[in-house]
This record gives sequence, structure tokens and C-alpha cells, in this order.
Amino acid sequence: MSDPVAQPRDTGEGVPRPPHDPVPPVAPPPEAGAWPAGGADGPRPVSAGSSPQAPGASAVPPDAASDGEVPPNGPPWPYPGSGGTPHAEEPGTPYGSQPPSFGFPVHRLSPLVLLLDPVRMLPSMFIPLVGVFFFGGFSPVSYGVAAVIFAFSVAYSAVRWATFTYQVVGDRLELTRSLVSRSVRTIPLERVRGVDVSASLPHRLLGLAVLRVDTGASGGEQEGELDGLTLAEARRVRTLLLRQSPARTAASGGESDVITRAPVRWLLFGPLSGAYLLTPFALLASAAGLVSQLRGEYAVDPRSAWRFLGWMGDRPWLVAVAAVLILIAMPLFGTIMYAIFNWGFTLRVQGSSLVAERGLFTRRTVTLERRRIRGFELVDSVLERRAGVARLWAIVAGLGDSTTRGQLLPVAPRAAAGEVAGRVVGPFTTPLTRHPPAARRRRLFRATAPWALVAAAGVALASIPVAVTGLVLALAGIPLGLDRYRWLGHAFDGRRFSVREGSLTRRQAVVERRAVVGWTVRESWFQRRAGLVTVIAGVGAGSGGYPAKDIGTAEGAEFARTVTPAWITPFLAEPHPGRNT
Amino acid sequence: MWLAEAVFGYVLMVGAALLVASWFGGDEVSWLPGWLTANLGWLPVALGAVLAPFVVLEPFRRYAVHRWELRDDVVFARSGWINREWVFVPVSRIQTVDKKQGWLERLLGLGTLEIKTASYAGSSSIKGLEYAVAARLAEELAHRAHELRDDAT
Repeated sequence: MSDPVAQPRDTGEGVPRPPHDPVPPVAPPPEAGAWPAGGADGPRPVSAGSSPQAPGASAVPPDAASDGEVPPNGPPWPYPGSGGTPHAEEPGTPYGSQPPSFGFPVHRLSPLVLLLDPVRMLPSMFIPLVGVFFFGGFSPVSYGVAAVIFAFSVAYSAVRWATFTYQVVGDRLELTRSLVSRSVRTIPLERVRGVDVSASLPHRLLGLAVLRVDTGASGGEQEGELDGLTLAEARRVRTLLLRQSPARTAASGGESDVITRAPVRWLLFGPLSGAYLLTPFALLASAAGLVSQLRGEYAVDPRSAWRFLGWMGDRPWLVAVAAVLILIAMPLFGTIMYAIFNWGFTLRVQGSSLVAERGLFTRRTVTLERRRIRGFELVDSVLERRAGVARLWAIVAGLGDSTTRGQLLPVAPRAAAGEVAGRVVGPFTTPLTRHPPAARRRRLFRATAPWALVAAAGVALASIPVAVTGLVLALAGIPLGLDRYRWLGHAFDGRRFSVREGSLTRRQAVVERRAVVGWTVRESWFQRRAGLVTVIAGVGAGSGGYPAKDIGTAEGAEFARTVTPAWITPFLAEPHPGRNT
Repeated sequence: MWLAEAVFGYVLMVGAALLVASWFGGDEVSWLPGWLTANLGWLPVALGAVLAPFVVLEPFRRYAVHRWELRDDVVFARSGWINREWVFVPVSRIQTVDKKQGWLERLLGLGTLEIKTASYAGSSSIKGLEYAVAARLAEELAHRAHELRDDAT
């Protein structure tokens, strides 16, 4: 705090930095203003020759300097964290606190990221650039400004690259980022639950990959991401990270047993899931967003927009054509997008892990530890049910973003899904028990009553459209409610239990008994009158809780008791908790 | 087992009655006139009249319903008033046990115990325990959880 540096910025930054400084204690503190030297870590004992990045590492900081933005001595560099001064002014104080990292090389991302980053920043720079050219015209000045913006972004990514290091120290992975403020993220290797390697199209062109470390922490903040490793390095780091985690056999390659390789014709099922049908709208929406952004630039006033709408209104056939085009585009785009994401879906067993790979341009690899898989979930929509296909997810303990990562199969025929589920988790063939008839009444009531109320309100307000809409929806609620009831069910086969619910989207979860961490029984006022309860099995995986909705009161207690006898039986000995003693 | 049946439900919602009553008493004046001005001045009265039985009923109902029990290493808690909820959490799956005390609770010497597991559906909070009981229970649970500890997922 008593740092004598004049710029407050530097004092502020200087304080938190040294304790985390990744510079190994063996290296003397860098000299004042020698930040670029800090970047050129060639001389360090660490990454010297072993790392393939070493040549690049020493090559780049001069680049950054040659942009003329890193004065060799001065703190005015806009990123205070990168200024070397504070090091010099607190000579050697807290370096000792850094655990020695002998033999654990410090690594950087591949310098090829430098090619990638500016390209990736282009979209965000697009608007300012357009602005520059719009206001300045194509004059030398605007070219100059554009060049500065570009150089700035290049320098930014260079600095970011140079200040980001990762290393495996003993049993943990440390990610150090020292751009503005210094932060060290430490991930104990035993917490590594999966390593996810993916590559977008630009990444693949350059032979790079993004490696994500999944720690099972709730917030995405806690997970590590290494964006821009060479493929070989990504593979090496994955091996290293998984070495000490129980999933180690996965990394060692070993025997790899392909469970499924999705045939291309399965891709045709994709659009049935519904979400992909909306892709044209997503595209339209992003186009509209772009237009509205540009509107600010080109000052399109609302009046001309209205005129345009009026012009459209005068030509209904044009609107019709557009609608037809969108209708045609929906399944087409849906299929294309789906195919791009799920191309060549492969699920393999590698040692004790499952490895799922997919994607046409961005190849995504997800590694799931088998011993963390607690069950599976089968989901289908109405359309998919007609076509006899379903989606399959694994219920994995401590997997963030499980809806995309836990996917075991793309939309696939039910039989195939069942087979894969059987191999990954275990077959579940026990038929589900239906819930009591009171549940049907409740489902019907819930599906129709709100709309009936709307209809009644419409009648009361003498508003015919409201009344008719309410009535139609209420009538539509009848089959819906019946269907919902039809699929309600629960079962237990001794090792796993299963609950099913839903109609438009039906989901059946099959969860292992050992995964249950608790039970919650809910009873609303209506349910109490109908003698029903909702029994929710708390599971520390997947969505957290899997409910058996509207199960009979006694039946629900019995269900929970059969699944986990030791927990529930003592409480059933006395009058059922449902009774208000 | 030192608890079992003996420590069954406590001074629960006596405090809540005060809270709820003072809340409605003070609030109706403050937020209603904000946007439904003078000519609706009778509304607080009507609302108060409608809510009065609830204000009286809810605490007693809650006090009657809310229960907790630790038996055979399973924590059981019942809560709710109109909708009811029973939660069973085996001690071996508990991840954290927190005890909390709001200002009102401090005033009345009560505390809240929060039991968290890996899943939201297995987590519960027990409100309105005597503070000493909450503290003791928290400690007990933490110890037992530690002894029985497995992966808790």
C-alpha cells in the first residue's frame, strides 16, 4: 500500500499481484518496465525447450512492442496489469509465498490464437468501423482510425495471450490471467469431472481446439477454459488432467468401444424436436437485430418503416409468398442446422468414461465419467412420439449445462435409444404404475380450468374473441389433460426407479437408487382434497429433482419407502406424515 | 437419538404472527396510495378485513403443521400452510448445514436451520427453532454428516 508509484492505477494493481505471481521463485523479479521480457519466458527454467510454443512465445512480445504501444519503460500502457513497474518497486517481497513449481512447466496457449482473436473480434468491431467510415468518409483519417482500432485489437489479444498461462502444479491446474487484475484459478485435479474438447471452424482450420474443464461447480465461473490449444497439446493436457481423476483410463486411450455411430438418416428426425424448426425465425430475428442496429447508423425513421409495412399490406400476395417461404424454410433449415450440430454423432466407451463426439464444423467432444452417471432421461415430443423416436440424456452428477453435454444420442428411434440406455446405465423394463384416477381429474382440471375461466371472463366482458379463444383452448385442454394423465407413471425395479410425466413433451427419467439424496413430498390444497401428493426424488444430478406427480398419498409414501426403505420406514411407523397428527 | 420425538416443533409462528400483522398494518398505507389514490381509500380496510382471519389463522396453522425430527440419521421436516411439504434428508447426504437468525428471530431468540444437499429437492430449512436447539442440531448434523460422509451425490 505504501507503494511510491505515482499513478494510482499502478498502486491499485500492484498490490494484489505479487502474491499470485506465476513467475517461479527461481527467477529473479523482472526488472522495471521489462514486461515484454515477462512475456518472453524463454529463459525460464520451465517451458524452455519442451514446449512447442517456446519459439512463438519469444517471438510475439516484440510484435506487440513494434505496434509502438508498449513503451519500453513506461507505465502509461493502458493495461496497468501488464506494466512491469510494481514488480521492481516491491523487490522480492511476496514471491516466497508462491509454491515452487519445479518441474511443472508453465504453458501458454498456442500463439496461433493471435490469428484467431482479431478475426473473432471483427463482428464486435464492425459497428465502430462502419461508424468511422460513415462519419469520416473514406478519407485517410478514417483509414488511420480503422488501422488504430485494428492494431489495438491485435495488441489486446497479444497481451491477453501473453498474460495468460496455465500449468499443472502437483495435483492442481492453475490458470493465471494477469491482464488488468491478476487472478489465479486453481482447479484440483481430483475435482475434474470431465474434459471437453471442441473446435469451431476457424479453430479447426488452424488445428486448434478449446479445452473446457468441468469441475462440477455450479457456476460457469468456476470452470476452466483453455481457448486455443494445438490439438496435440489439448490431448496432452486432457491426459494430464484426467491422470489423477478417476477417469484416467479414458485419457489413456486404451480400448475404445463404439456404442453408437448415428447413421446419417437419423438426422432427418432432427426437425421433429421442434426447437430447430424455429431456426429461420432465429435467423430472421438476428437479421432484424442487425437492421435495427444499422438503423441507428443510417437513420431510418419509423415513418418510412410504417410506409414499408403499408406497402406490404397493399400486396398481400407478397406476404403470402414470404409466409410460404418461411414455411418451406422451417424444416429445411431445421434439418440443416440439426445436421451441422449433430453430424457424425459417435458415442464410445473409453475405459471408465463415455465419450460423445458430434458436429460438422465445430467438433464437440464430451467426456463423461461413467461412475458419475446416475441414470438417463428419455424425452420425446408429440411429433417424435408419432415417429417413434426419442432423445436420450444421461443424468450425470455434477455436470453443468447437462442439457447439451449429457446428450447420449441425437434424436433416434426408441429402440436404439433404449438399447444405448441399457448399455450405458442399465436396462429398465419394469412397466410403470399408473397414478390414481383422481390424478386424471386433476390433470383435466388443470388443463381446462384456466381457459374456461378466460372464456367466462370473455362472456362477462361481452368480448366474443376472448370468450371463443378461451373456449377453444379449454376444449383443446381435454385431450391434453387426458394424455398427460395417460403418461403419468412411476416404477421401481430394485435398483432404479423411474418417473414419467408430460404430454406435449413427455419425459421419463430413470435414476439409480443410490443417487437419491432426499425426498420432498408436496401437497397443494387441491391435491390434499383429491388425496394426491407429488413425490420428488432429490437427485444430485441432472435437473436436481424428479417428481412423481399426483401420486396417491399412500402410494407415494410406499414408492419412496420401496426405493429407500431405511429412510422412510421409521417415519411411516407412526401415523402417515400426511395426517396432521 | 437424543432428539427423536422429544424436541418436536417449537415456538414457531408466534413471531410470524407479529411479523405478518405489522407488515400488513404498515404496508397497506404505504404502497396502495402510491398508484391507487384517494378514492380507493376503502381498499386497505377491505383487504385488512379479508386478510385478518388469515393473519390470525396462518401462524397457528403453521405452528400446528411445522414439525421436524431427526431419527435414524434421517432429518424430516414438514412445513407449509396451504400447500404442504415434507422433506426427508438422510444425514449421510447432507452437504452443508447453516444456521441463520434474522432480526426478528434474534428478538425472539429463535433461529433457522438450513440443510443443503446436492439437489434443491433434498434441501430444506427449518424455521423458528429455539436458537440453542438450532445450534445444537446444526452441530450434531454436521458431525454425523461428517462421520457418515460419502460422496453425497
